[in-house]
Amino acid sequence: MDLDALLEMSNQCIHSEPPVCMASCPVHMDVIAFVTEIEKGDFAKAYKVMEAKIPFSRLIGKICDHPCESHCVRKEVGGSIRISELEKTAIDLGYTSPKKPLLMPKNKGTVAVIGGGLSGCVAAIELDKKGYNVTIYEKTDRLGGSLWAYEGQDLESAIIEEELSVIAKKGITVWYNTEVTEANLQTYIEKYDALYLGTGAWSKAYAIHPETFQVNDTSLFIGGTLQTQNHSSIFSASSGKRAAVSIDRYITKTSMSASREREGVFETKLDYKIDTVQPIVEVAKTASVYSESEVQEEASRCLKCQCDACIKACVHMQRFSITPDRYIRSINHNERIVLGNRSANLMINSCTECGLCKEVCPFGIGMKDIIHATRQSMVERGKMPISAHDFALKDMQFSHSDYFSLVRKQPSKEQSKNLFYYPVIAFSQYARGLYKGSGKTGYLFYPGCQLSSTHTDYIGAIYKYLVGVIKEKEADNDVGLYLGCCGAPADWAGRLDLMPESVEKIHKTWEEMGEPTFILACSSCASTFEKYLPMIKTISLWEVFATYGLPEVDIKKGKRELCIHDACATRHNAKIHESVRSIVKTLGYSVEELEYAKEKAKCCGYGGLVACANPEQAEDFVQDRAHESEHDVLVYCAMCKDMLVKGNKRAYHILDIIYGNEINPDAPQKMLTLSERQNNRKRLKQQLLKEIWNEEESDMSKTYDFTLHLSDAIIALMEKRFILLSDVEKVVEHSLTCKERFYNPETLDFLARLRVNNVTFWVKYEEHGSDITVKDVYSHRMEVVED
Amino acid sequence: METKTETTTTWMCDKCHKALVSQKVKVRYLEGNFEVELLKCPTCNMVFISEDLALGKILEVEKSLEDK
Ligand code: SF4
Ligand code: SF4
Ligand code: SF4
Ligand SMILES: [Zn+2]
Repeated sequence: MDLDALLEMSNQCIHSEPPVCMASCPVHMDVIAFVTEIEKGDFAKAYKVMEAKIPFSRLIGKICDHPCESHCVRKEVGGSIRISELEKTAIDLGYTSPKKPLLMPKNKGTVAVIGGGLSGCVAAIELDKKGYNVTIYEKTDRLGGSLWAYEGQDLESAIIEEELSVIAKKGITVWYNTEVTEANLQTYIEKYDALYLGTGAWSKAYAIHPETFQVNDTSLFIGGTLQTQNHSSIFSASSGKRAAVSIDRYITKTSMSASREREGVFETKLDYKIDTVQPIVEVAKTASVYSESEVQEEASRCLKCQCDACIKACVHMQRFSITPDRYIRSINHNERIVLGNRSANLMINSCTECGLCKEVCPFGIGMKDIIHATRQSMVERGKMPISAHDFALKDMQFSHSDYFSLVRKQPSKEQSKNLFYYPVIAFSQYARGLYKGSGKTGYLFYPGCQLSSTHTDYIGAIYKYLVGVIKEKEADNDVGLYLGCCGAPADWAGRLDLMPESVEKIHKTWEEMGEPTFILACSSCASTFEKYLPMIKTISLWEVFATYGLPEVDIKKGKRELCIHDACATRHNAKIHESVRSIVKTLGYSVEELEYAKEKAKCCGYGGLVACANPEQAEDFVQDRAHESEHDVLVYCAMCKDMLVKGNKRAYHILDIIYGNEINPDAPQKMLTLSERQNNRKRLKQQLLKEIWNEEESDMSKTYDFTLHLSDAIIALMEKRFILLSDVEKVVEHSLTCKERFYNPETLDFLARLRVNNVTFWVKYEEHGSDITVKDVYSHRMEVVED
Repeated sequence: METKTETTTTWMCDKCHKALVSQKVKVRYLEGNFEVELLKCPTCNMVFISEDLALGKILEVEKSLEDK
């Protein structure tokens, strides 16, 4: 993994980029924190936020000419937030006198401040804080300069005096009635390490450096009105602050310009979009300043502008309260750590790799590929927690096994000749299709393992339909069938080593069959094929339905409105989106488009094997999706349906409505168990072989001479703990034959264990003759050495 | 792995009809090898692991070893 390139990418994330109000505030008041405190009614904290950035905040907060407001994002949707008015009320309601200033040693150097106006006082205080011995030369008999212009209007003289008294309290020397002019300036320059000139008017026009406020390379720095060329108090204060920074760097001989790009007003990279913002108009003042309730209401209009498009769209980032910038940094840490806990493992295995974040990010930053590469790297370094994906990978092995895996060409004419008689041949398009058999496989129907597990009984019907409609139009092209698993689980688990087992077999079959087009019915198969088997031409079953017409089944047309949950794996496949919508409309339903639809589809929670690695996270995804609409959901991915039904949301697979099974909308929908899914795959293979190819397979399933009784609660427990019925059977069988079990004389229960591969399963049961009633099941991976 | 587990139980070995005794037992997972005090049959050595132990301490240790 190229971690440095990753970190580079994390720097592009603008999650921490400030809002435009803060960027256009010359001293960068943290507006969002400020309004948040006001909204909460904590005015003391709000004032503290002001105080952190605004010099003489009790004064400037009353008279600031608020350049922030003219840039506020709210401007066009109800009017800018009246930040300056909020400040006034925050002072009135939240001002607390500052802590007694600490007297710092002042040994870093000497600075003269010429002019004790606002900028001069600011510069003096800042330099004093930095450890300089500062002397102010003021030509009048008081400090404050232009501040006194507000006396009696916005500022009370007592408060001006109280605030300025801090200069004396800090022990800064002030020479009153001492005018410095161009004529005697040189004396001061010689006497002090540096000079700050903030007199408002001066006889000579110096060239001032726009960023450092330095005059050439000299020890003279100029701020205040002389530098700002306007009468803005906040710009003036800002220039005093910035000049103090320059003076410090000058005296300590550090770089004058390094990392100062964002001093003063700067441009934020944040471009907050107002398309969906509802206008709310500015709150009117009923007196000269906002009242407590008015100020809170006005603060509540603030949009708290911040880029959080991805976190808003993704419950995974929400659960871990993280945005890609920090996420990438945690991955970096997790990858580089040598000894110690890889604490980001769970997070990395909780991303569904759905790709939504990339769609919503203004910079196209996406976690999917990063997470995928990270999981691969974890696997390669042997650092992937086994338990995260073990169950799903074993289930994949089951699909690869002879229990499910099957490849067949379309039954030949010879094989099917018992169908070619009247009336079958007249009424069955399928029989006519077989009659036209060419022996050349033009299409291969690949339903995928998940659809076969949960929508087992549709597969045969679909196959017959495909033979019928395709042979009608393309006499040359037979339709074959291929049952298997595309390898998506291995891909999600980062198990590149397991990919060939699926992919190479598919590729070989495809070649042997004369390169047929695969008809896919699963969104994950579609993306796996795209990624690993790009040479194979594929078409989605939904496109076939939309182009060749729907199978003729006797269905009542639906009249209801359904919302379509697009499969995240097909977010960029517009053809599938259209086909599905056209089928749904043809069947008489109306469609509610969700906010997150098509290329912005949200994941159901199955993606990335999250349902296996972190079931709680998967549940977040389901609930998030389920609550997007009141309506029942229409899906076209077997996994999506499963997840939604599990989350108690009524969901229909598109096949349910095509084959008229959207019946009894009040009956609860049943979730198949993990064992039922495996059995269904087994059963499907046997059924199809018998029904379509007339092949009888010996039943490979094992039979036992005991009968297991499992309550619903036990079944639910098995699901939760990823324990299969076959595991329970093995444990019981072993305990009965070898008598390896514990007995509890009080409860009369038995408890048995058996290690199956890398897991030890435990079953507690009651035995009555051949009836075994299971009372508990659990497992662990740790191996116990019994010797 | 810490060794604080049950030291008595009503469960007994069904094959040997023996009460279980608490003894040091070797357990292993990934790179981790430990000796733990567990209940076992003194005759056939079958080790007893309760649900609480499996889903509590053992799970915790498994997870922390996986994240190492
Ligand atoms: S809406 Fe709030 S955060 Fe956004 S620019 Fe305006 S004041 Fe700043
Ligand atoms: S779950 Fe989807 S939206 Fe969330 S981080 Fe992963 S890929 Fe992005
Ligand atoms: S959308 Fe997310 S990743 Fe993209 S810039 Fe915003 S916070 Fe960062
Ligand atoms: Zn024993």
